[in-house]
Amino acid sequence: MDVANGVTIAVILFGVGIFALIIRRDLVIKLLALGLIDSSSVLFLVSLNAQDNGIAPIVHGPGANYVDPLPQALVISAIVINFALLALALVFVMLLVERYHTTDSLRIAQQVEREKRS
Amino acid sequence: MTARTVLLLLLPALAIFSLSQRRRLTAVMGMGLFSLVLAATYLFYHAPDVAITETAIGAALVTFIYVLAIRKTGRLVVVCDEAPRLIARDGGEIVGLEQEIMHGFARELGLDLVVRIVPRDDVGAALNRGEADVGAGGIIREVQKKAELISMGFLPSALYRVSGGIVKDAKHLRENEEYFEDTLEAIREQRSLSMTLDLARFLAASRLNLSNYAVERIEGEFSYCFLVSQDQPELLIQLNAYLTRLTESGEMERLIERYMS
Amino acid sequence: MKSTAIGILAILLVSAFCVLLLLTVDYHGARGGTDNPYLAAGASETGAVNLVSGIYLNYRLYDSLFELLIFSMAVLGVRFYLNAEKSTKPNVARVAESPVVRIAADLLFGPIMLIGVYLIVFGHLSPGGGFSGGAVGGTGLLLCAAALGAEVVARRFHEQIIEQIEWGILLLIILFAVAPIFFDRLPLTDLLPSGRVGKLLSGGTIPIYNGLIGIKVFIGTWVVIYSFIRHRGEI
Repeated sequence: MDVANGVTIAVILFGVGIFALIIRRDLVIKLLALGLIDSSSVLFLVSLNAQDNGIAPIVHGPGANYVDPLPQALVISAIVINFALLALALVFVMLLVERYHTTDSLRIAQQVEREKRS
Repeated sequence: MTARTVLLLLLPALAIFSLSQRRRLTAVMGMGLFSLVLAATYLFYHAPDVAITETAIGAALVTFIYVLAIRKTGRLVVVCDEAPRLIARDGGEIVGLEQEIMHGFARELGLDLVVRIVPRDDVGAALNRGEADVGAGGIIREVQKKAELISMGFLPSALYRVSGGIVKDAKHLRENEEYFEDTLEAIREQRSLSMTLDLARFLAASRLNLSNYAVERIEGEFSYCFLVSQDQPELLIQLNAYLTRLTESGEMERLIERYMS
Repeated sequence: MKSTAIGILAILLVSAFCVLLLLTVDYHGARGGTDNPYLAAGASETGAVNLVSGIYLNYRLYDSLFELLIFSMAVLGVRFYLNAEKSTKPNVARVAESPVVRIAADLLFGPIMLIGVYLIVFGHLSPGGGFSGGAVGGTGLLLCAAALGAEVVARRFHEQIIEQIEWGILLLIILFAVAPIFFDRLPLTDLLPSGRVGKLLSGGTIPIYNGLIGIKVFIGTWVVIYSFIRHRGEI
């Protein structure tokens, strides 16, 4: 088990995604970071049971070293769902940006505060 | 080093590169490339189903809707530094002669008007970066370098050089204050400065106490104008046509009288 | 500076969190070979050669059902929020149409749709399945919209009928999956003969589900793309 296996890289990507989500103020970059977190979770699940000389789980006869098919099955529909939810989040970001004419989350928050006060 | 390890090590590099970009378009393209490399990695993990799905979703569809979402449609973006009477903040709003002109122009084009106030030297930089369409804020036609496209002059002006003041500290001797507000503050605090002000800014500054400063009027004919970003030459043609129409119909006279007298 | 302090604190916290995650990973859960129940009996029970399809359409069917529901809700949300707004402004600047896109669409549209249909139909025999096939079909339609204009494609698609088809298919999938409970059987595995592993007409109900899910995802992605284009202006 070497250092650069998929699990470590997936957790590193997860950390990068969370960090970018906290630090960057641009809403679109925050959404990209959320997408990165999704992709890193998928990579984590797929690479958990990695075998070096396995074969893809297309069964054509007994005796070959097939990779575990369960995580792949769970993850396929997750990818498509992530896309749909990302599209929905992007819709809200677009509506916000068109309303406040800026993609800066801090400025949007300040303007919302100002509107709430008045 | 197997190919899988190489791809795996490429992933965080791509992610960090694309999430640290300033331009949103570059970040979106970087994440599209990240999706492709991730799909290749899935192949090396003997997961072809996942790889096909990730390619179809991440590389094509996600990138597409992001690019659609961050397009700058329907807005006319004006960057400026504050120039009193021309384009300045008044409470929460922006009022002024140039703001009226820009508002009418945007309405004629069918776009939303967005005004952003940036430091004076950043106006040209913002136009070059493509972040804005028009530069405003008391720009003198004859002084402006030929970097951007310059519209026709619509209002004659004058240039004044203000210099001197009490030297409190060597640090405070700055050639160009960033925003015009900094200049006003410097004059209020009687710091030393050396600035060239156009008519509108000079009128605003002269309401403060200028006794410690040497004021000289620079010879020549000057006029105000707008800047247009270089990749929109047809916008310049439209702007010039609009300004000509305003002058001919007398609307310009009315606006000048309202704001500059 | 406050922002650098926040940055450093964020890096420390995130790194601590990542290290914590890494320390708790259990690498020894790999189950391969005959130890894995799916690999042992999967092909004969489901009739699908592609075990991944067999799992998420036979053993874990209801998971996929709920995920399809989430997908439909997301598409519905996108359509609702983007069409409640005003339509695009009349003179939004259009990007100049380039002949490259049109020629590329001419050449590529057919193969892309063919690949999408292949992925859906052969989902139980080779990698693919309903989700991937539907997404690839949506991409092909996106290429078509980029070349011809989204309005033209939408008119050809008869927007009203598309909505009805979408919800009809969802209803069909749900009925198909839930009905056997009332008939006191396991989900139908013998609609198509399941014994013949490797032939096209095999795999129980898996090809049917693949087809229905494929059409659903295809229409869903097209609705999302069309809502975006209509809101933001043509490509």
